[in-house]
Amino acid sequence: MSTEAHSERVSRNMDGPDADAERNRAANAEAHKRSRLVRTLSTFLENRLAVVGVGIVGFFLLFCYVGPSVYHTDQIHIELSETTLAPSLAHPLGTNEVGYDQLGRLMVGGQSSLEVGIAAALLATAFGTLWGAVAGYAGGVIDAAMMRIVDALLAMPALFLLLFLSSIARPNSGLLILVISLISWLGPARLVRGQALTLRTRDYVRSVRLMGGGPMRAVLRHIAPNSIGTVVVNAPFQVADAILTVAALSFLGLGVPPPAANWGDMLSNGINYVYDGYWWLIYPPGLAIVLVVVAFNLIGDALRDSFDVRLRRR
Amino acid sequence: MTPVVSIEDLHTDIALRRGVAHPVSGVSFTVNKGETLGVVGESGCGKTMTVLSIMRLLPPGGHISRGHIRFSDTDLAALEEDGMRAVRGTRVGMIFQDPMTSLNPCMTIGDQVAETVLLHRKVTRAQARQRAEEVLELVGLPRARERLDSYPHLLSGGMRQRVVIAMALACEPELLIADEPTTALDVTIQKQILRLIDELRARLGMAVILVTHDLGVVAGHTDRVAVMYAGKIVETSSTRELFANPRHPYTEALFRALPENVERDRALYAIPGLPPDLSNPPPGCRFAPRCGYATPECRAEEPKLTGDRHPFACFHPLGKAGQTAANPPAQPPRAQQGAPLLEVRNLVREFPVNSNGVLRRRIGTVSAVSDVSFGVRAGETFGLVGESGCGKSTVGRLLVADDAPTSGSITFAGTQITGQPQRALRELRRDFQLMFQDPYASLDPRMRVRSILREPLAIQRRGSAAEQERAVATLLDEVGLPRAALEKYPHEFSGGQRQRIGLARALALRPKLIVADEPVSALDVSVQAQILNLMRALQREYDLTYVFISHDLSVVRYIATTIGVMYLGKLVEIGPAEQVHATPVHPYTRGLIDSIPLADPEREQRKGQAGVRGELPSAFNPPSGCRFRTRCRLATEICAEEAPAMRRFSEQGQQAACHHPLRAAL
Amino acid sequence: MTRFILRRLLQSLVVVLLVTVIVFILLHLLPGGPARAQLGPKATAMAIANFNHQQGYDRPLLVQYWRWLTELATGNLGFSVSLNQSVLSLIGERLPKTLVLTVLSTLFALVVAIPLGVVQAVRRNRAADYMITFWAFVFYATPPFFLGVVLIVVFSVYLPILPAEAPQSSSLRVILSQPAGLILPVLTLALLTIAQFSRYMRSSVIENLAEDYVRTARSKGAGESVVLVRHVLRNSLIPIATLLGLSLPAIFSGALITEAVFNFPGMGQLFWTAAQTQDYPIMLGITVLVGLATVIGSLLADLAYAVLDPRVRFA
Repeated sequence: MSTEAHSERVSRNMDGPDADAERNRAANAEAHKRSRLVRTLSTFLENRLAVVGVGIVGFFLLFCYVGPSVYHTDQIHIELSETTLAPSLAHPLGTNEVGYDQLGRLMVGGQSSLEVGIAAALLATAFGTLWGAVAGYAGGVIDAAMMRIVDALLAMPALFLLLFLSSIARPNSGLLILVISLISWLGPARLVRGQALTLRTRDYVRSVRLMGGGPMRAVLRHIAPNSIGTVVVNAPFQVADAILTVAALSFLGLGVPPPAANWGDMLSNGINYVYDGYWWLIYPPGLAIVLVVVAFNLIGDALRDSFDVRLRRR
Repeated sequence: MTPVVSIEDLHTDIALRRGVAHPVSGVSFTVNKGETLGVVGESGCGKTMTVLSIMRLLPPGGHISRGHIRFSDTDLAALEEDGMRAVRGTRVGMIFQDPMTSLNPCMTIGDQVAETVLLHRKVTRAQARQRAEEVLELVGLPRARERLDSYPHLLSGGMRQRVVIAMALACEPELLIADEPTTALDVTIQKQILRLIDELRARLGMAVILVTHDLGVVAGHTDRVAVMYAGKIVETSSTRELFANPRHPYTEALFRALPENVERDRALYAIPGLPPDLSNPPPGCRFAPRCGYATPECRAEEPKLTGDRHPFACFHPLGKAGQTAANPPAQPPRAQQGAPLLEVRNLVREFPVNSNGVLRRRIGTVSAVSDVSFGVRAGETFGLVGESGCGKSTVGRLLVADDAPTSGSITFAGTQITGQPQRALRELRRDFQLMFQDPYASLDPRMRVRSILREPLAIQRRGSAAEQERAVATLLDEVGLPRAALEKYPHEFSGGQRQRIGLARALALRPKLIVADEPVSALDVSVQAQILNLMRALQREYDLTYVFISHDLSVVRYIATTIGVMYLGKLVEIGPAEQVHATPVHPYTRGLIDSIPLADPEREQRKGQAGVRGELPSAFNPPSGCRFRTRCRLATEICAEEAPAMRRFSEQGQQAACHHPLRAAL
Repeated sequence: MTRFILRRLLQSLVVVLLVTVIVFILLHLLPGGPARAQLGPKATAMAIANFNHQQGYDRPLLVQYWRWLTELATGNLGFSVSLNQSVLSLIGERLPKTLVLTVLSTLFALVVAIPLGVVQAVRRNRAADYMITFWAFVFYATPPFFLGVVLIVVFSVYLPILPAEAPQSSSLRVILSQPAGLILPVLTLALLTIAQFSRYMRSSVIENLAEDYVRTARSKGAGESVVLVRHVLRNSLIPIATLLGLSLPAIFSGALITEAVFNFPGMGQLFWTAAQTQDYPIMLGITVLVGLATVIGSLLADLAYAVLDPRVRFA
């Protein structure tokens, strides 16, 4: 999954019209009473879907990191006497084709999926933000050159590049993080650049120069803090996309080698047994991916609503 | 008199995220055939919601909770949506505030006007188009037939508003609602549009509801007025009666806040406080918390709108004498003699226009500022006026070195600013500061007021942290904000309060000169008065010099000692404020003054047709010779051939550049 | 308008050149470089050195790039050793099938997503909106191969009404003559796109509904259907044109996986096989081609934008 389609999610206020002075004024008076952080938080929590999203992510974090210390399984040594057992009391989600306990594997595999997703998203966001901020603030030829590079990379389907890159070296989690962030920094770069371009002309940024301040102050004190919202809002979408990308790579045969595992590997392995009726090898990892990705998308959506400038003014 | 629409006890609610706002609470009025009712009040008083209720076009969450809107024999408040649709566009037409956004950008203007006809009349497309052409001609759109197929963005604001009017009138409605129809337009165009509405009303025999915040517009273009405050009508009568004899303290306060009525050595009357929160209005009279005459009775019990010919809702109405007390005195600015603090010589700013193509050839220039010269003495207020696009804001930016001129020089306190490298300018900047127009855009939304005010001190490394802290506290006192404001963010303040913060920031470095670019044009008249008073007081205290840029000649007349009038990049007239305002020499200045609506029905009526005709030409390829000639009634051949030079017209230094001045030169 | 087109053309040209530069860099990133790419993973060091000298791969990089670029320009995308066929002819064989898949699914997605988005915007924050949003999120979050497998399980295993495999043939006519086999692949690819497009359409319509000109239209007495169809729809569709251009790479990525799941003999499957056999000329050839297609796609989208939006057309 590439990131470009997400630009819409971040750029637009989905809450619609508010040209209405009366409404503003009444709400403004109310706004006086509460600090911004509290308001941002409460707007966020008011969004029930966001709470669901946070809940799901929290559940999976507990499941993957605390789970293994409660539910002990051997995820290193294969057990050929216990392959593809159907769910039972001993193995609540059965075992896989080489005898690993599926529930335990789901926990271990989730660690890898979440770590790769989150790390790749953070790396891509950091690099993209830097790239976009520099391009946007510099403007002119530098901006044009930097953005054409982004365009060129966007023109190549992310999966094709990933497949190519990971066919050069056998992937491990570290490489996956690097390779995925290499592709997904483009979205944040475009977003932040757009933001910087508009912020540059704002009166409060202009006023820095008129007070005798330099460009460093303008970028660090004004442009960066004001674009942070965009970046934060985009980050959950990045995590979601990275998790999907890992899964896609696994399916294409470029997952991490066993005994390491992630949900994508488990799912694509399971799919080989689709006609054998081993449903417990397919649906648990598949559902885990869907749930986590939906959760991160819900969080991103809610964050956008609570960060939105137009909403904040109310 | 036959009433066209009569509203009885209208209540409109809007559901908010938390709670419910009541922008209209118990409004009643009647509009008769052929008559214009003005609904006037400050922003947030519920006037727009009242007329949107009539159209039943309330924003999401809005609904009429009580009352009737009787329109001939139907009650619009109770009509179902289908029936309402048959009323909108045919029997009631509406004009909105911003012509730039109220037209569909992807539809030709011909189609948009024809749509009204097609929706309501059984006509063919060709007939509808024919009708569209007729109506566009009726509203004075030049070359209407050719323009049927053009898109809105190719038209100026004034022309677009004519198109909107054409759409509203295409089916000859019985009632026309105009919601701030000229607020987004320049004053010369405003005059043209308001006259057009007057003419059309007479011609079509419509009833008109004119919603506006501008008492001047009400004075010149309405028969009766309803003054609204906090969702209620506080006073209503015939226009003449209301202006001659206001009874409600709020109406009176509005009049006293207008700079046009106040001598320059008096302060403006500023209504204290803010309008109430409409989701939780105060008990009793809603104006009581801000009223100078309020008694405990006012706070406990709500006065009813009573009276026969001139109803008002007040327990302590003003007497026949009108104004009860004169405005408090205020010292006008005192200019020092000697060399000017600021000296502008032959300032030129041109913006190159490049072709968009591959090679980006330069295909011409926009002449934004052309050969402008003036001087400003220490302690005076230099007012720079003109319509949008005249180059006044560009001059402002050049004065504070936010932009570099194409040629010409600016000298500040003996040092030439133009041509200085940025590094050297950094030091100089502490002596001249800019105050911005938009109080929402000029403060960083993510900074507390403390950091905002400390920023200039930190940049210029002025004093220790403790000293800066003290300086910030003093600044807050000076602009009349409580200390508690330090910990708040800009969005927690009203527009007027934000403008105070902006002024405090400009003052922080104790500059000699403040260039204020339209500092009050985004504010309501009562808040505008507060800011103007504050600016005046601070000027006295700190010997400040102001360059006050504004489109509003009344404000400039009140606050400035010297006025410069700009037209399309040129300074056309300059001189002492009273002189320029009372006895202008340049036909453009005269036209501008005549275009400003005065809050006085008698004087408004006397002005009649006067004003400026036509529209502002493009600054890309401006007219040859005198740039005003295309709109000037006195223009002759010489005006096209030769650019007029500045000549002196009075001993006090009134100068103008005109071949046919209204008075002989010295 | 002409100026706008010229500038966009120039920009696109720059982007295309950059795409080739990136692919060229990728080619040289390979251990063993282009020689390894041509000769395959089993080639000896000796053979590689020979090959390099013979092909001029020991010359300066800039010279090599220029040679490679001129070859590209004449349509020489390289030679696949493992399939013993030129890359161009391989792509020529497979491309039409991928186009059938992508064009059908994108058209289907548009036909479904646009009305969905409009319904969501009109019934905003009501049950219908929440339902569609829920499914859009779910489909967006489902890895396409998982989605494909679920569809196979449902439609081929439990209710065996549709084949689980796409028609196998090198001829486009045979493939088109068995439309039932195309249903699942097209559906898989489309569901994903629908999820994205309907979200986009929803916010575009919501935004336009809040515009002043909509209120003006209502004040003329226009009913909701007139407002929607005549005013809002057209203005909301304009950004969809751009989205379509930008989505091309994502659609091709989706096709890659869908083809693998349904064993559909298109360009994506070719790429996948090439990745497994480390046949780099095929992979790079396809990447260049898709890059080019994307650039042309977004150029066309921008031109469509200009034609649809008079503010651009007459600028």
